[in-house]
Amino acid sequence: MKRISARKDLLGDHLVALAGGALALSLLLVIGLVVLLAVNGLASFWPRPIAELELADGRRAMGEIHVRETATVQRETTGPAETIERLQLKGGNRDLTGADFTWIDDREVRSVTYPADAVLLERREWGNFYGRLAALRVGDRELAAGSDATWRAFHELQPAKEREFAAIRALERGPIGTINRRIQALERQRRGAGVKGLAEAERVSAEQAIDAELAALRQQFETRAAELTALREAWSREVLVVEAADGTSKELPVGAVVRAVRPNELGLGGKLALYGSRLWEFVSGEPRESNTEGGIFPAIFGTVMMVFIMTVFVSPFGVLAAVYLREYARQGPLVRAVRIAVNNLAGVPSIVFGMFGLGFFVYLLGGSLDRLFFPEALPTPTFGTGGILWASLTLALLTVPVVIVAAEEGLAAVPRAAREGSMALGATRFETTWRVVVPAAAPGILTGLILAMARAAGEVAPLMIVGMVKLAPELPVDGLAPFVHLERKFMHLGFHIYDVGFQSPNVEATKPLVFATALLLVAVVMVMNLAAIAIRNRLRRRYATSAV
Amino acid sequence: MAAAPDMLPDRPRAAPRALRTAGQTSRARLLVDRLGTWGVVAGGMAVIASILAIMVFILFETLPLLRGARVQPSTAPRVATLPAGAIVADEYRSLVAHLGLDGRLRVVRLADGALELEQPVVATGPDGAPPRLTAVQVAPGSAAFVAGTADGRVLVEPVRFSAAFVDGARRTAVEIAGGAELAVDPAGGPVPVFAGAAGADGGSIAVAPVADGLAIVRRSVQENEFSGERTESTERVLAPLPAPLTALAVDADGRNAYGGSVDGQLLWWRLGEGAPAAPQAVPAGGSPVTALSLLTGHRSLVVGHRDGSLSVWFPVRREGQDFVLTRIRDFPAQGGPIVAITPSPRDKGFFALDGAGGLGLYYSTSHRTLWTGRAPVAGAGSIHYAPKADALFVAGPGQVAELLVDNPHPEVSLEALFSKVWYEGYEAPRFTWQSSSGTDDFEPKLSLTPLLAGTLKGTLYSLILAIPLAVFGAMYTSQFMHHSLKRFVKPAVEIMAALPSVVLGFIAGLWLAPRLDRAFPGLLLLLVVLPLMALLAGAAWRALPARVRGRFPAGSEALAAILFLAFGAWLSFQLGPLVERLAFGGRFQSWLLEATGLAYDQRNAVVVGLAMGFAVIPIIFSVAEEAFSNVPQSLVAGSLALGASRWQTVLKVVLPTASAGIFSAVMIGFGRAVGETMIVLMATGNTPIMDWSPFNGFRTLSANIAVEIPEAPQGGTLYRTLFLAGLLLFALTFAVNTVAEIVRQNLRRRFANL
Repeated sequence: MKRISARKDLLGDHLVALAGGALALSLLLVIGLVVLLAVNGLASFWPRPIAELELADGRRAMGEIHVRETATVQRETTGPAETIERLQLKGGNRDLTGADFTWIDDREVRSVTYPADAVLLERREWGNFYGRLAALRVGDRELAAGSDATWRAFHELQPAKEREFAAIRALERGPIGTINRRIQALERQRRGAGVKGLAEAERVSAEQAIDAELAALRQQFETRAAELTALREAWSREVLVVEAADGTSKELPVGAVVRAVRPNELGLGGKLALYGSRLWEFVSGEPRESNTEGGIFPAIFGTVMMVFIMTVFVSPFGVLAAVYLREYARQGPLVRAVRIAVNNLAGVPSIVFGMFGLGFFVYLLGGSLDRLFFPEALPTPTFGTGGILWASLTLALLTVPVVIVAAEEGLAAVPRAAREGSMALGATRFETTWRVVVPAAAPGILTGLILAMARAAGEVAPLMIVGMVKLAPELPVDGLAPFVHLERKFMHLGFHIYDVGFQSPNVEATKPLVFATALLLVAVVMVMNLAAIAIRNRLRRRYATSAV
Repeated sequence: MAAAPDMLPDRPRAAPRALRTAGQTSRARLLVDRLGTWGVVAGGMAVIASILAIMVFILFETLPLLRGARVQPSTAPRVATLPAGAIVADEYRSLVAHLGLDGRLRVVRLADGALELEQPVVATGPDGAPPRLTAVQVAPGSAAFVAGTADGRVLVEPVRFSAAFVDGARRTAVEIAGGAELAVDPAGGPVPVFAGAAGADGGSIAVAPVADGLAIVRRSVQENEFSGERTESTERVLAPLPAPLTALAVDADGRNAYGGSVDGQLLWWRLGEGAPAAPQAVPAGGSPVTALSLLTGHRSLVVGHRDGSLSVWFPVRREGQDFVLTRIRDFPAQGGPIVAITPSPRDKGFFALDGAGGLGLYYSTSHRTLWTGRAPVAGAGSIHYAPKADALFVAGPGQVAELLVDNPHPEVSLEALFSKVWYEGYEAPRFTWQSSSGTDDFEPKLSLTPLLAGTLKGTLYSLILAIPLAVFGAMYTSQFMHHSLKRFVKPAVEIMAALPSVVLGFIAGLWLAPRLDRAFPGLLLLLVVLPLMALLAGAAWRALPARVRGRFPAGSEALAAILFLAFGAWLSFQLGPLVERLAFGGRFQSWLLEATGLAYDQRNAVVVGLAMGFAVIPIIFSVAEEAFSNVPQSLVAGSLALGASRWQTVLKVVLPTASAGIFSAVMIGFGRAVGETMIVLMATGNTPIMDWSPFNGFRTLSANIAVEIPEAPQGGTLYRTLFLAGLLLFALTFAVNTVAEIVRQNLRRRFANL
């Protein structure tokens, strides 16, 4: 008897260990994922040394060694598999070689050196350049020659070039953009509503007025364009002569270089400074090279703004519905059914909400708005296409059940005594609800709101069909009346990950950036969720002690 | 405090009892209270109603799919005083060209019936008088008249309409040129049964039965590229003809001719190069064939019989054999012998006219009868589907009438969505989703079944991972873990639910998939190594002296096991290449293909299962943990007091009690996995294939919506079909979640009573 039970216990212990293993594996997955994201995301800005490889056949190559691995390679589908050591070199120089990355068999490498004057140029176009500086020229005049002299001369020149580039950008975005938009608006007006319905004489005079203004604007445009050309010329006057490891040399304007680094001679301090500067560029800069380089500021801005607009819609309506369900509605089977339905809507796939957003907001509401208020722009849609307003509204619908459920929970946790006390003091039901119960439930409501915001920040599927674009040239907020452009398309962190990771022509080169974006998104969402959990725990403790 | 109970006589609910004793409640406050109540009730109801209206909206977007076609007489006046013949119309339905049996071609303006043009098209015969025509047809899917003469010729007469905009008004011009007279019967006898077609290059073909077989006459036109000189050549061959014919059809390329014989057989000649062989003869039912036509693309043959029945046929390649003309589907019989069939120029639909004056509109792919009715013209003998498929012209002796056709979604039927459908060119009926293609005569394949199967496949593979991990993890957390650890472990697992799925999809698609591709055997090893490691961790823990163990809160061993598992995972992937060499002969994928015939896609169901399982674990965990924790302590204590071990208690007492809650947890996890979009979009190849191989990709309903809806024109069939897919998803998840929620609530009530 005893032996049997002992054996059973042993089996039980093993099974408990297995169950513990299941939990441990779940936790390991979470930890692994976070570590994976953190390592890949944060490491992507850390400067790597530039290696110069001398290959067996005498060729030289320069770049960052990204991966060293043992791989089983099959030369042909039927041939024998062989195991080789190889390394992945990020050689950059896409304009010269056509590819960023190359795999090199270890056996072919004769020597690896890390020359101090190896330079990495981060360019506005064509990605990174790895090589050496040779000379700096203006026209035929040589300002500097030789690796070190050029390096110094370049650094003296670069801040000025940055300023010139900023000036070019400002001119393009500012005055020229404004003139362009004004011209477009006037042309629309001339075509459509501005002159329709007027008597013949009035129409002619209106058209003449518009034409005169158009002519003046075009004149202004010409002046500005000439100014721009001059600026551009000045900007690209100084030319840097650079030399790749294989001896090819290339000229590129100094202004086209965003940043020049000699990572091999950087100390820890220099590396940290560079890391900081790249990180700052990442969060505050604009994307370059079809989103594969540069920063993600527009995506951050778009995400924040969308979540903000969504919150403006979702908080009053979610709270109103929760208060109705919990405080006003007669509790019965009907309210229970409604509660279950609302609860379950939180589990309905987000893509369905996206579809609804497209059919209802974009096509039905947006299409009607266009016909009513923007007929002169048709058939180009204004509101009848995806935009930040529709995206926010769609997400508001998607997240309102979350808010309702959390707010209801918060309301339910408010002790009955609080209501009864308020009423006993002569407050009306309305006063009791809004001055006593809702404030007491505020942490619960806040929890719901934060959860809703976190969900909205991470949601991509519905947004793909109601308003996202790869690259929005303009932010939804700018200095142009009416300052907030709710009809504009926008960029979003989550969509950025999908788009850059899967639609980009150069996936391998983009991965570090996508990891960094993913890390940022996950960090934001996690922090929001942890805040929500913390608030909820505090709320529970408060009512656990205060409930008599 | 003199209470005035009758101060608030008519509002017992708005002002609670407590207030009545409160005395001096001002009217203003009561008004605010009343308005506030209304506001909250109205607002709350409106919010809830508008959320629930989502389903109604989606339902209404899909409803038009199953509506039939609307066919009604147009307001345009009928064109009268035309002899019997056939008609074609232009794209804008402003002109109608009519070829009468008198051999004269007339062009009539539809708006007022004015005659724009009238000219003879038949050259005079040897006797100097224009020959009578035996019959006039329109070649299927084109604007070319085909007519047989009483003296052994077949006319092929293409009509070209061209529209030009002059001062904002449309002017349609008609050009009748390039017609050909092909002598099929050198003996000069009448040609009652014939078929013909005009090729795009100016050539034409005519086939007709003659005394010694089936005559095939081709006229080809070659244009010299340098001189622009056109040379015409006519070639006549004879094909064997086993039985007298009642109907004929020939495709536009002149490669296939189909005939219906008096004894109810279908004959199929393949007209390649050289002398044509004997036709393939297939019995087509007892009733003689009275009409033949070809649907757009000229692959499907529509056959009309004397008994009014209609069927669709096309050549199908039999396994290891040649093509066989095969009966694909039948349509319900009309009231009289089928006289004429006109295919839609836009899709796989067709109109059929019977001798009793009945008309029917059918769609081949979806096997739908969209409309049936009466021809507006008595004794109608010819019908023509307008080029934009928005009207039907019916010609009878003396007049032509127009019917407006509103037929928005013929491609969809329950059969087309959910059953196997035999598509053109397929060897057998299949479930296929292929919504668009580059060519115009493409047959949309809108079966939702492969998408449903893909959805279930992804869900299945993710649940295989998620259910054991989440349920056992939850059991452990709730039953074997000390409260102090639980406080951190539970949120740590649950926070996974907040991970944006786009991040999981990215990692699965771009990080995990290529690595698994290289190290799949390592994953297989994990299945063995990880449980062993968990057991080892447990054994190691128990081997520690009780004194040491006692210092840590219960459940610490699971945290220690993380290290064991991490080591095990590392070990598995280190040993992976070795196992790959020893067990799989060097490369797992090659072995897989040879041993099982399964191909390995890089982005496959295993990758999705891992990523989506990861997304589902926290959801199942959270609900299951709640279910375990809600099992009353008295039950556990009772079981332990009776001498059961901890594990026995959990297995025999806790698990059965919590089983309904676990079921509900699994249901909720299922609901999440079914609707997940980004992970499957990014981690599979999105190919809508139907199989259950874990090494293949698939396409789910949700990913399909995400991929296709941006391209679907609003209100079109694809758009509405995608809404239907969304409705299915909605209904599925809503139902599953509701069941789960009801189970959970019942469970809570039961526990409350325990």
